[in-house]
Amino acid sequence: MTLLKLENVSFSYADSDEGAGLRNISTTIPQGQVVLLCGESGCGKTTLTRLINGLIPHFFEGSLTGKVTVCGKDVASSQLYELSPLIGSVFQNPKSQFYTVDTDSEIVFGCENIGMPKEQIQKNLDETINNLNLYRLLNRSLFELSGGEKQKIACASVSALHPKIFVMDEPSSNLDYKGIRELMNVIAGWKRDGCTVIIAEHRLEWLKTLADRVIYMSDGQIGSDMSMGEFKGKTEEELHVMGLRTEPHLSPVSKSWENNEDKFFFRNITFSYKKSRDRKALDIDMIKLPVGSVVGIVGENGAGKSTFAGCLCGLEKHMGGNILYKGNNLMSKDRIKLCYMVMQNVNYQLFTESVVDELMLSMEKSKFDETEKRVKAEEILKKLDLLGYKDRHPMSLSGGQKQRVSIACALASDKEILVYDEPTSGLDYHHMIDFAALIKDMQQIGKTQLIITHDPEIIGQCCDNLMFFENGKVLWHKATDADAVAMMQNFFAL
Amino acid sequence: MMRYCVYGKNNQSIKLDPRTKLLLCLCISVTLIAGSSAGVLRYLNYIPALVPFLFMISLKKYKNALIYLAVYVVCEFGTSALVPYLPDAVNILFTGVIAFSTRLIPGAMMGWFLFSTTTVSEFVTAMDRMHVTKKITVPISVMFRFLPTIREEYTAVQKAMRLREIGSFRNPVKMLEYRMVPFLMSVVSIGNDLAASALTRGLDSPCKRTNMCRIGFTWRDVVVVVLLIIFYSCYIPIAVFRR
Repeated sequence: MTLLKLENVSFSYADSDEGAGLRNISTTIPQGQVVLLCGESGCGKTTLTRLINGLIPHFFEGSLTGKVTVCGKDVASSQLYELSPLIGSVFQNPKSQFYTVDTDSEIVFGCENIGMPKEQIQKNLDETINNLNLYRLLNRSLFELSGGEKQKIACASVSALHPKIFVMDEPSSNLDYKGIRELMNVIAGWKRDGCTVIIAEHRLEWLKTLADRVIYMSDGQIGSDMSMGEFKGKTEEELHVMGLRTEPHLSPVSKSWENNEDKFFFRNITFSYKKSRDRKALDIDMIKLPVGSVVGIVGENGAGKSTFAGCLCGLEKHMGGNILYKGNNLMSKDRIKLCYMVMQNVNYQLFTESVVDELMLSMEKSKFDETEKRVKAEEILKKLDLLGYKDRHPMSLSGGQKQRVSIACALASDKEILVYDEPTSGLDYHHMIDFAALIKDMQQIGKTQLIITHDPEIIGQCCDNLMFFENGKVLWHKATDADAVAMMQNFFAL
Repeated sequence: MMRYCVYGKNNQSIKLDPRTKLLLCLCISVTLIAGSSAGVLRYLNYIPALVPFLFMISLKKYKNALIYLAVYVVCEFGTSALVPYLPDAVNILFTGVIAFSTRLIPGAMMGWFLFSTTTVSEFVTAMDRMHVTKKITVPISVMFRFLPTIREEYTAVQKAMRLREIGSFRNPVKMLEYRMVPFLMSVVSIGNDLAASALTRGLDSPCKRTNMCRIGFTWRDVVVVVLLIIFYSCYIPIAVFRR
C-alpha cells in the first residue's frame, strides 16, 4: 500500500537562508519501508522531510508546485494538526524540540493537543514507555537529560501518537555512540510495528542494517533511488564522489614523538561542579602530551570531556592541580590567554558586523598600530581562504566558514592551543575533509590541537594522539598506535 | 503491562493549586504596588512580603530565603536610615528607587515561586479550567521552558566572550551589543525550532485539549483563601478609613 506519494514537486524558499530548494521530485513510499535520504549538505534532504511533515507550506514560506499526498490526504490543503496523528517528526537539535519541562508531560504533549480521550492516552503512554524502555527517564526534568536521552523522549512523544509515518531530520548529529545505539533500537521497534520511517542523515553507518532503501539527493533532485543492497555494493570512491561519509579508517600513525622536547603536562587535575560537590567531574593523575600534536578526545557524553576542555581553557577557575606547557606552569589567567576553544555552536563566538572586524576585535589588546593589524588580519584571512569574504557579515556565512572565522580569531590573538568541541558533527564528507586539511595546516604552524569528537572519521584523518575519558577519569592516553586503534574500533562499534 | 501514573510527583512541601498560586501572586503585587504604606498599613505590608519567604523555606531554599530577607530588610530599613547622610542628588536618583523596590521584590519572588513549582501541564490545565483562551495560555506556558533556556544560552555567550578575551568593561555599549547579538540570534533560532516541533504535534489544533494532569483545590488552598480574606478584611477598612 502506498502511504506517501510525491508528484512532480518543486519548491523554493521565500527566504533562501532557510534551506535548499527542490526540483521535480516524484516518488512513492509504501507502508513499512525504512528510507534513508542522503546527500551533501545543501542537497535538499531537510527540505524533503519538511514537505512530508507539512512544515512546508504551513510553516516555511515559499513557492510550491506539485502535490504531496500522505495517507490519502493532500498535505498542502490539510492543516498541521490534521497531519500530526499521521506523521511524527523528530528533528536534529535535541534541546530545541521539547515544549514542556518534564519528561512525562512531554511524552503525552501531542496526544493532549489533539484531544485524544484520557483512557486512550493512558494506554498509548503505557505502550510507549514499554516499547521504548523509558522507565529510567520518567518523572525527570528535561533540562538534566543528555542529548541522547532528550532525543529518545522526542521519539517517545511522537510515538505516543501512533503515527503511520515517522520523519527524522538528522536525528543522530548530536549523539554519542551510546545514543545512536538507543536510537537504532527505537527505529527497529517502529519497523517491526510496520511503520514507515524516513530519515535524512549524513552519518550512514548506523542505518546500514535498518534501512531498506536509499534515496540519494543531489542539487535539489533525486540523484538515484536504490535498495540498501545496491547501496552497499558501491565502492568507497564512488561514495566519496557523491559526498557521502563511509566506514572510518583508523590506522596507526607512525610519527614519533620521542625526540619532541616540548611537553604539555597535566598533573593531579581535579574539578567538581558547585551543584554536586561530592562527585568529582574531573579526576586526572597525570597526562603527558607532545606539544604540536593533534589529540583526539574520546568518550561517552558526560564522561568529562567538555569539563576538561573548559578547565584547560581557563574557563573554570576552581580547578585543582597543575598544567605545564613548555615548562611553564599555567594559571587560569594564562590559560585563557594561550588557549582557544571553537565551540560546537560557533554562532556564540561571532560578535561583529564583518569578518575583518571580528579579527580586529581579537587584536584589540595587541601592541601593533591600526595598519599593522589590518595587514596581519589580511594575512590570516588569506591563509584560511577567507579573504574574499572579509567584508561579509559573519552570520551570513555557511557553518564551515563560520568555523574558519572563529579559528582565524584564535590566530589573530596568537593563541597556541586550540580546542575544538565536536567540530565535524553535521558535516558531509567534503566538508569533513576540508576541516581535516585545516587541522593539518594548523599543525604545520606549530599549534597544539585537541579535538573532542564522536566522529571516528576525523580521528582517522588527523589525530596522532588519543585520550579516552570515562567517569571523569582518563582511562588511557597515548599516540595513535596499533593498540589505540584497536581500542577505538571497539569503542565505535555499533 | 505496567500502568504508569502520569504526574504522580509530589516533591514540594506545600502543594497548592496553580490557580491559588496565581491569586497569591496577583494579591501580593497589587497590594504592595497599588496599596499605600501610610501609618499602620506600613506594618501590614510586611505580611504579604513575608509570604514568599515562607514559601522559599517550605521549598528548603534556605539560601535564597535568607538573601531575599536580607535584601528586603536593607531596602526597607537601610534606606530610611541612610537618607539624612547622603547628598540630595544621590537620594533623588537612587534611594527612591531602592525604597520602591521593596514593593516589587515580593511580587517578583512570588512569580519565581509560581514558575518553579508549577509544571507546564499544571499551568495549562489551570488556565483551561478558567476558560482562558489559547492566545494567552500558549505564550505564558512557553515562558516556563524558556527561562532556563535563556539562562543556558546566556552562559554560553558569556563563555564565548571570555574565550575571545572581550569581556572587559572598557566600552560598555559595545559589550552589551556583543553579548546581545549572538544571544538573541540563538534564542530566536531555538524559538523557531520549538514552534516547528510543537506544531507538528498539534499545538494549533482547535479541538478541546485533553489534560492528563490532575489539579484541584485541597484544604491547603482553602486555608490560603481564608487567610487572604482575613488579611483583606483588616487591610481594606484601614485603607479606606485613613482617607
